[in-house]
Amino acid sequence: MDPTLGDDGGDLSDADGAGLRAPGIAKPTPPTEALRTLLTRRTIVLSFWIIVLCLGLPHWLWTTSTYRASLPLSTMNDWAEGKACDLRFAYPIRLRTPGWARERIVELGGNLSALLGHDGPGGLLDFTIHPGDSDEEPLPPPRENVALTVVLHAADPPGTHEVTSHLEPGESILHLGSGITEAGQIADQIREITVPQQEALAYVLSGTPFAATEYEALRATRQTWTETSLDARNNRTFKPSTTYHLSFSLFVARNEPSAWAIEDALAAYVAPLVDALSSLSNFTITTQVQLHASFSPSIAGPTFDEASGEWKLRREDLSGFVNAAEWPLSPSIGEGSTINFVLYVPAAEYSPLVVADTGGTVWLVPQWGGVAILNLDGPSTPLKATKATDRTTLSATDLDEVMLTFADQLTSLIGLPSTPSGSLALRIAALQRERATALLLSTASTLGALSRLVHKLPNIPIPDTVATSVATSLRHIDLACQDLRAGRYSKTDSNLGALGNAQAASEASEKAFFEPSMVGQVYFPDEHKVAVYVPLLGPMGVPLVLAGVKESLSLYRSIRQKVKGT
Amino acid sequence: MKLAQLLALPATLISAVLAIPEYSEHLHLRPLPNGYLYAGFNFTASTSLSAYESQHFRYFPRSLGQILKHSGTRELHLRFALGRWDDESWGSRPRDGKREGGTGVEIWAWLDSGGGKPAVEERWSSLVNSLSGLFCASLNFIDGTKTTRPVLSFEPEGMHRGGGGGMELLHGTLPHEVVCTENLTPFLKLLPCKGKAGISSLLDGHKVFDANWQTMSIDVRPVCHVGEECRLEIQQTVDIVLDIERSMRPRNDPIPRPRPVEELECDESKSYHASDTCYPRRKEGEMAWSLSKIFGTPVRGSCHVADGDESHDISLEVSRDRAVEVLQGGSNETLVSHGQSQHVRAIRLSDTAKHTDISLPQQIIQEAPHQEQPPLYASRQITGFGQERGGMHTVLHNPHTYPQRIVYLESLPWFLRPYMHTLKVLSHPTTSHNQPATPVKPDKMFYTPALDRERGTHLELLLTIPAQSTVELTYDFDKAILRYTEYPPDANRGFDVAPAIIRVLPPNSNSTAGNEKTQDSYLRTTSLLLPLPTPDFSMPYNVIILTSTVIALGFGSIFNLLVRRFVLAEEVPRSAVAVRVAWVVGKVRGVVGGLKGRMRVGGEGGGGGGTVVGFGGAADVRGGMNGGSGGAEGRKER
Repeated sequence: MDPTLGDDGGDLSDADGAGLRAPGIAKPTPPTEALRTLLTRRTIVLSFWIIVLCLGLPHWLWTTSTYRASLPLSTMNDWAEGKACDLRFAYPIRLRTPGWARERIVELGGNLSALLGHDGPGGLLDFTIHPGDSDEEPLPPPRENVALTVVLHAADPPGTHEVTSHLEPGESILHLGSGITEAGQIADQIREITVPQQEALAYVLSGTPFAATEYEALRATRQTWTETSLDARNNRTFKPSTTYHLSFSLFVARNEPSAWAIEDALAAYVAPLVDALSSLSNFTITTQVQLHASFSPSIAGPTFDEASGEWKLRREDLSGFVNAAEWPLSPSIGEGSTINFVLYVPAAEYSPLVVADTGGTVWLVPQWGGVAILNLDGPSTPLKATKATDRTTLSATDLDEVMLTFADQLTSLIGLPSTPSGSLALRIAALQRERATALLLSTASTLGALSRLVHKLPNIPIPDTVATSVATSLRHIDLACQDLRAGRYSKTDSNLGALGNAQAASEASEKAFFEPSMVGQVYFPDEHKVAVYVPLLGPMGVPLVLAGVKESLSLYRSIRQKVKGT
Repeated sequence: MKLAQLLALPATLISAVLAIPEYSEHLHLRPLPNGYLYAGFNFTASTSLSAYESQHFRYFPRSLGQILKHSGTRELHLRFALGRWDDESWGSRPRDGKREGGTGVEIWAWLDSGGGKPAVEERWSSLVNSLSGLFCASLNFIDGTKTTRPVLSFEPEGMHRGGGGGMELLHGTLPHEVVCTENLTPFLKLLPCKGKAGISSLLDGHKVFDANWQTMSIDVRPVCHVGEECRLEIQQTVDIVLDIERSMRPRNDPIPRPRPVEELECDESKSYHASDTCYPRRKEGEMAWSLSKIFGTPVRGSCHVADGDESHDISLEVSRDRAVEVLQGGSNETLVSHGQSQHVRAIRLSDTAKHTDISLPQQIIQEAPHQEQPPLYASRQITGFGQERGGMHTVLHNPHTYPQRIVYLESLPWFLRPYMHTLKVLSHPTTSHNQPATPVKPDKMFYTPALDRERGTHLELLLTIPAQSTVELTYDFDKAILRYTEYPPDANRGFDVAPAIIRVLPPNSNSTAGNEKTQDSYLRTTSLLLPLPTPDFSMPYNVIILTSTVIALGFGSIFNLLVRRFVLAEEVPRSAVAVRVAWVVGKVRGVVGGLKGRMRVGGEGGGGGGTVVGFGGAADVRGGMNGGSGGAEGRKER
C-alpha cells in the first residue's frame, strides 16, 4: 500500500510503472548541505520561535488582559453562605423594683433569666437581665443598650392596677401592676412583647443561609396567620432606605379648592411621627396642589348608584386610579424612595365618590403610597363660606381625618410592626432590628452574587473601586453583626449602630456590584477578536509553524540516523 | 372707566403696577404682514420664597421647584426654539428677544457658587440631567464641551440677595436638538390648568410645531416688591408665528395639496400670464381668521385660579378699523378698542362660558400696520470650501441713525478651531458704497480658547456699530478630525454650530435721541451646519486587515528567504504527499482505463497525460501551503 515512502524520494516512479518515464535518466539530487548552513537555519527558526514565545506572547497577553483587582472571595462566600456570622440579637432587660430588698431583686433577676433563657430552641433573642441598682424616682434615663425596662410596682398601694401591665408610649418601659411579682408572670408579660418580634425576625431569616435549623423549629410552631400577616406587611413595605421623600399632593378634579392648609396639618399629624421615625431614616416633605386632574382613560370611571346616591368606584379601578401619565407625581431627585400621598377632591357632580363594596374612601398602594378621596358634601359644606378664600382653601380641620389616615399609612408603608400597640418606641426598636437584619442579609447575598459573577466571567475587569467597596462593605457588615450581638441597635455619637452599619454595608455592596465599568466589557464579543487577529496571525503563523515542524522533523531524523549509525 | 384704562394697558405694565397674583396668564395676538399671525402666550406663577424653601407648592410646579432646590439654582432660563424670525418683514422681535432662544435648546442659569468650581459643575450637571428628564430633551448632553461662562452677554433678571454675589452663570446650548411635542407636553404639565382650561387649551402640538417660528421659554427668578416677601416667579412663554392659511386648512384633510388650476388667483397683468403660467396675485387686505380655525379649538373655559388676578386674558393688536367679534358662550359681540392705546383690544375670559372664540373677517385696511424696526439685522454664514479649513462671516446691519453698542457672543464647539489673529471687524456705511471699509476696534474682548474634548471656544466682543452702517465680522477656522466613535450616526449631515447671541445694549442715558429704548434687547442668528471630514466607518477593519496582510507578506518573504534552501528546479525532490496523491490518481486512472479498455478494445493512451496532471496538482498543493512565498516556487526545497 505504501510503496513511495522511500528515503529522499529517489526512485518513486515505480508506483505507476516505470514504463511511462524514459528509462536511464536518473533524477538529479541536490548537493548535501554543509552542516553549518543547516545549523544556521535551525538557529534562525529557533530564534524566531524564541522571540514569538518569550516576547510576543507575553506582550500580547499583557496588552489584552483585563485588570482584575483581587477580591476577598472566600470571605464573601462565607457571608453568602451564612458562615461568617452567627446571628443573635441581644435583648438586655433592666429590672426596676422600687422598694425591694437587694437580695430579692437579684433572686428575681436570676429566676427571670433562667426562665427566659430556656425559651425553647427557636429563640433568636439573647435575654440578659440587669437588676436595677437604684430606687430613685422618677426613673433616670435608660442606659445605653437597654431594649426594655420593666418596672415592678409591687410596692405601690394595691388596688390601683392589680394584675395589669401597660407600656409607656414614647419609651420602651413596661409597667407591671402590683399583682405581678412572680418571675413566671413577669416572664409571660415580657414574652408577650418579644414573641411577635422573634417571629418577625425568623420570618426575615427564613429561606436564607443564616436561618439555622434551630430557627426552623420556631417557624414550624408559628401559626399560619402570623406568616400571612407578615407576608402582607412585607409586600407593602418600601425597600429600606436612608432617605424617604414624602410627597403630599392635592389633586382636584376642577379648579376649586386650589389651596390647603397643609403646613398646619403636617405639623399636627405627620411631623411628630416623622420625628419619632428619624432614628430609622431621614424624611423630606414636599407638597403640591394640582388642578384639573382627570381620571386615567384606562379605568372605567365611577358609576352612579341610585340607591345610596353615591358615585361608586369599582374595586378593579383602584389600581389605575392614579393617572400616572398625567398627574405630576414624578419621583424626587436625589437618593431615596418617594412615598406619595394623594388626596383627591372629586368634582361636585361626581360627589360623593366612594369605593364600591366597602364604601371606603381610603386605600393604600403597596410600595407606592396612599390615596384618599375627600368628598366635600355639596353646597352645604363649611367650604361654601362667605369669604372667597374659604371657598378655595381646605382648612386644617377639613384635613384632620385624612392626615390621620396618611400618618397611619406611612407607618405601614415603612413597615412598622403593629405590635406592641402600646409603645411606639418598642415598635420602632423592633423595626430597627428587622431592618438591620434584612439589610445584612441582602448585603450578604449581594456579596455572594458578586463573588459568583467574578468567578463565572473571567473576562470582566475588576477595577480597584470595586475592591475598595467590597472591603468597606465587609468591614461594615462585620460591625453590624457584632452590634446586633451586642445590642447596639441605634446610632450613637461614636458608633453607627447595627442599622447604620448594615446600611453602609448594603450601599457599598450595591456600589461594587453595579460598577458600570465592569458591565461594559462583558459584552465584548469573541468574534471581534477573531476578526482582528486572523488576518495578522494566520499568514504569519503558518510559515512559522511549518518551518518549525520541518526543522524539528529533520532534526529528529538526523538524530535517529546518528543513533542508527553508531 | 378705571377698568377700561386697566384693560388698555399692556400686560407687562399691569403686572408691574398691581401686586403680583399667584398665577396669571395672557395671550397676545398680532397679525403680521403676508398672512402671518404672531401669538405670544405668557403664564406667570409665583410662590413665596419661604414656601419654596420648605417645598410647599401651589401654582409653582413642584417638579421644577425640587430640581431648582436640589441643584442650588438661583435663576434659570430655558429655551426651546425652532425656525427663524423673519425680521425683514415681521419687524422687531417679540418681548425684545428676551424670551427667545437659539435653534434647538438653550439654557443658562445662575447657580450657587459655594464649594468652588467642581461643586458648581456638579450642580450644573445635576440641573441639566434633571431637566432633561423633566422635559424629555437631550439636555443631559450639555457637558463641559457645550458649556460656556459668558461675562457680558447676560445679567440676572431677578433680585438676588446680596446683590447677586455668590452665584455663577453657566450657559449651554444644544443646537442639534429638534424641539417637538414631547417637549410641549411636560411644559403644559407645569401649568396649573394643564392645557385644559384658559388660553393654554389652545396649545396643541400639531399647531405649535407647524409654526414658521416657535420658541418656548421657562424663566425662574426671584422677584421682590417693597414691603412684601420676596417671591420666586416662574414665567413660561410660548411664542409662535403661524402661517394663517396653512393653519386654517381643515383638520380632516391636513395634507397640503396644490390647488386646482381654476382656484389659483393669478396676476393677469403680467406679460407672461397664460393658461399654463400663473404669477400669484398678492393678497389684498387682511385675511379672515378665527382662533378656533387657527388653533383647531376655541379657548375652553378660563383659568382664573388666583385671587387678585383681574387682568385680561387675551389682547389683540390690530388696526383700529378692523372688525373683531368675540363669541363667548352663546353671545356674540363686537370688540372695540378702549382708551388711549388704539391698537390693542383686550378680552377677559368669562368664568361661566365654556368656549370663547375671536373671529376677524376679511377686510381691506388702508392704514399701513404699525411695525417697529428691529434694532439690528444679523446674519452669519460659514465660508470657504474643502474639509480642512473654513471661515466665519457675520454681517451686522444697523438701520438706525444712532450708533449702537452690542455684545456679540459665540460659543463654538471644540472641533471648530478659530484663529483669533484672523479676526477682522470692518464697517462700511450703508448709504454710500464707494467709501472704503474702516476697521472697528472692539471695546472689549473675552476669549476662552477651546480644549480638545473638554471645552468649547467662548468668544465675546463688545462692539459699537456705527449709525446706518454694516459691520462685517470674519475669522478663519480649522476643522478638527474627530475620533471614530465621536461621530453621530448621521455623520455626513454635518455638525450644528450654536447661534451667535447678540445683546443690544441700551444707549447711554446722556444720549440725545429721544425715542430709544431703555432696555436692552437680544437677537440670535440662525444655527449653522458645519461639515466635518467624515471617515468611512468600516475603516478600522479595513486598516487592520490591510496592515496585517502587508506585515504578513513582508514577514513571510523574509522568513522564507532566511529559512529556505535554494536548489535547481530539477533537483527538487518530490514531496511525500505529492507522491502519494500521484499514486492514488494513477491507480484510479488505471482502473478507469482498464474499464474503458474492456468496453472498447484499443482505447489506450490517456494514462500518460494523467500522470503529468497529477504531478502538477501536487505541486499546487505545496505552493499553497507555503503561503506568501509564491515567488520562489519551483526552485525551492524543503
